[in-house]
Amino acid sequence: MNRICFHFQISQPFRLRTYRFFDINQEHDYFDEYQNHYLAQRLAERCYLPANKMMLELIKRYPDNFKLSFSISGSSIMLFKNYCPEVIDSFKKLLATGCVEITGSTYTHSIASLHGKDAFLEQVRLQEKLLKETFDVKPVSFCNTEVIYSDEIGEWLGEAGYQVVLTEGARHILGWKSPQYLYCNPYQTDVKLLLRSYRLCDDITLRFNDRSWDQYPLTAEKYLRFLDNTKSSSDAPFINLFWDYETIGEHYTEDTGIFDFFRSLVARLAAHPNYSFITPKEVLDMDISPATMHAPWPISCSGEEKDTNEWIGNVLQQEAFNQLFKLEDLYKSSKNEAAKLSWLRLQGADHFNFMSSKWFGHRFVKRNFEVYSSPYQAFINYMNVLNDIKIQLEKKK
Amino acid sequence: MKVLMFGWEFPPHISGGLGTACYGLTKGLALNGVQVTFVMPHAFGDEDENYVRIRNASDVEIDTSSAIYRELFPNATFIQVNSRLIPYVGLDGYYNVINQMGSGILEQEFEGSRRKHTFASGYGPNLMQDVNLYAQVAAEIAKQEDFDLIHAHDWLTYRAGIAAKKVSGKPLVVHIHATEFDRSGEHNLNDIVYGMEREGMSAADAVCAVSDLTRNIVIEKYGIPAEKVFTLHNAVVPSDKKIVRKKNVNEKIVTFLGRVTFQKGPDYFVETALRVLEKDPDVRFVLAGDGDMMQHIIERVAELGISDRFHFTGFLRGADIDKMFGMSDVYVMPSISEPFGISPLEAMRAKVPVVISKQSGVAEVLQHAIKVDFWDIDATADAIYGLLHYPALSKLFADKGEEEVNNLKWENVAKKLKVIYEKTLRYE
Repeated sequence: MNRICFHFQISQPFRLRTYRFFDINQEHDYFDEYQNHYLAQRLAERCYLPANKMMLELIKRYPDNFKLSFSISGSSIMLFKNYCPEVIDSFKKLLATGCVEITGSTYTHSIASLHGKDAFLEQVRLQEKLLKETFDVKPVSFCNTEVIYSDEIGEWLGEAGYQVVLTEGARHILGWKSPQYLYCNPYQTDVKLLLRSYRLCDDITLRFNDRSWDQYPLTAEKYLRFLDNTKSSSDAPFINLFWDYETIGEHYTEDTGIFDFFRSLVARLAAHPNYSFITPKEVLDMDISPATMHAPWPISCSGEEKDTNEWIGNVLQQEAFNQLFKLEDLYKSSKNEAAKLSWLRLQGADHFNFMSSKWFGHRFVKRNFEVYSSPYQAFINYMNVLNDIKIQLEKKK
Repeated sequence: MKVLMFGWEFPPHISGGLGTACYGLTKGLALNGVQVTFVMPHAFGDEDENYVRIRNASDVEIDTSSAIYRELFPNATFIQVNSRLIPYVGLDGYYNVINQMGSGILEQEFEGSRRKHTFASGYGPNLMQDVNLYAQVAAEIAKQEDFDLIHAHDWLTYRAGIAAKKVSGKPLVVHIHATEFDRSGEHNLNDIVYGMEREGMSAADAVCAVSDLTRNIVIEKYGIPAEKVFTLHNAVVPSDKKIVRKKNVNEKIVTFLGRVTFQKGPDYFVETALRVLEKDPDVRFVLAGDGDMMQHIIERVAELGISDRFHFTGFLRGADIDKMFGMSDVYVMPSISEPFGISPLEAMRAKVPVVISKQSGVAEVLQHAIKVDFWDIDATADAIYGLLHYPALSKLFADKGEEEVNNLKWENVAKKLKVIYEKTLRYE
């Protein structure tokens, strides 16, 4: 029996407006309300609402055989609350079926875990609070921003009470080992790790509509064959498939057949005697002893390298990152809630993504909404905002 | 005295200091009783014509069949292509045209010989073509106009000036606002531009340079006889607009305003900022402008880890420039090579003390400015620190500086120019 774990990540950021030097200490509305409104609604219409509807139908059709999990960043939840509350309702309906798990995540799709424990756990704590308020759930599994993970991050999460962590099946960490087994943190063996089978995920994320791929067109039948082929032996129990939820309907619009693909895939898997669906926390009820996995340096789902260079690779990103977390003490002492929230939002991976030169000339699916003409423009704008936030945090100590 | 003047731009549509200087100069000449007809490739129609008559070269029809035209431009190809309408004629297409011309077929296809050239404003992608077309139009204008003397500003207009001289036989004065040595540096000279500059200076009866610095370059690098090269410093167009001193932040602000190019020394500004910030973190540095060194500068600032104290505004114009001056406590111009450099004067008029490099023409006329070598970042940092921390010093510079600038009048510059004109007309 193979367990399939479907997990979808939702991490829409609050995008920044063009914030000029002259605005510093004058204007404190850093976010592009029009853009944020427009994109949230567009994504709701094209992806979240129809995809949730589809998932709900599938759960109803296969009540005992289909389960899935989500991680929804705090910023996404706030965007939904502001601009399309019906998305929240549709998630509540999914949760009510009992077949859906919502995992913990960061509050603002933050990369704070690359900085330090305090800043990271602050994000985790705020997200827990928001999940409690919104969905009345208390997560025990965790999916970090871009599944960033290291031994240290795993330990922090263990201390915060998490028992299952989702991360990447990074080849340079695993070596000869397979991502399809259960692993645990070497220092906190209570923290179980589910590793993403990224080749299988990328077959959809990157290649679903790629006419130059020799497997094009991808059908559910063919994908099932891929799943069958990856089983090294029958005791390799897990196939963990994590995607951005926007893959369904936004990165691949409805007319590419992505919805039908998932419908058909779930139908085949649900009917198949060798497969059953699980959600991350169900791992805890299983009597499987995990192997340890060492991740001395942070890994992520980025590119082929599975490292963190996409966010703090170049000198601009490193500078922005350093300047950002220099304000951590100010954040702790400040009473200016608006500025504090803005500071949290500036930790979002997307802001750093815009400053990346890693993908120069190579449009990656994740960067569909390009707003800056260059990484340099992104850096200037970000720093202008950050400098104002600093002044605001300092003011009302 | 009537002067036919060739320029490239004129306020309010300007991209650099050249247009402003032309405006000031023509106005000054008018006050000295000199009538100027100002020709430019593309006039917008909203230029201030109180002191000068503007002629738009785009409106001028030229007759390619005339004897003068054939004599002056024997090799000109009569393909009237508005380059901006079909910007990318492929090479094949181009050679087709050339080959047909050789066989004499193509000429037959043109209706008549009269045509107009429509110039784009500014500095388009086909600048060289525009420069040559401008010369053709200039010849036509020189035939129509009545004048005593021709005056051409910067290399773009030299060919026009020469053409006008050939048509009319009147003396030519060329005016050097910047040389190729300033723009590109000694080792990256553009041969064609250098050639055109030399051609213009050699053909001219008198050469005006905006500073002694530039005059020396003209004499030494272009081999022009010293006796026909005159220094004519720039001045400032008076303005009654009051710059409001208003700051958004508590820290002192040190500003660099200009193109972010090699010539302007923006990298020295960054290194200076680091030096000052080591002593006093309560200063903000602002780099206002854009240019080909921008990426390099941003990376350097990030590398030094001072981006919480070093800001970029991008290219500024009009009201934003005034706003910037209104916020500044010190203005720095660390130019490596600056023929004149008018922006420190604008800063001083806004009561902002200035630190300027000795390698700038404006250093020759200013008393109330701190002058340093562009490469001496310690001295520059020292000067900035002094101006920020010793109010007596900065107040002196602010007050005296404003007074000094207000005494730099275009009227006086024009008076000197008139003397040069008179000398030239007497062929002394």
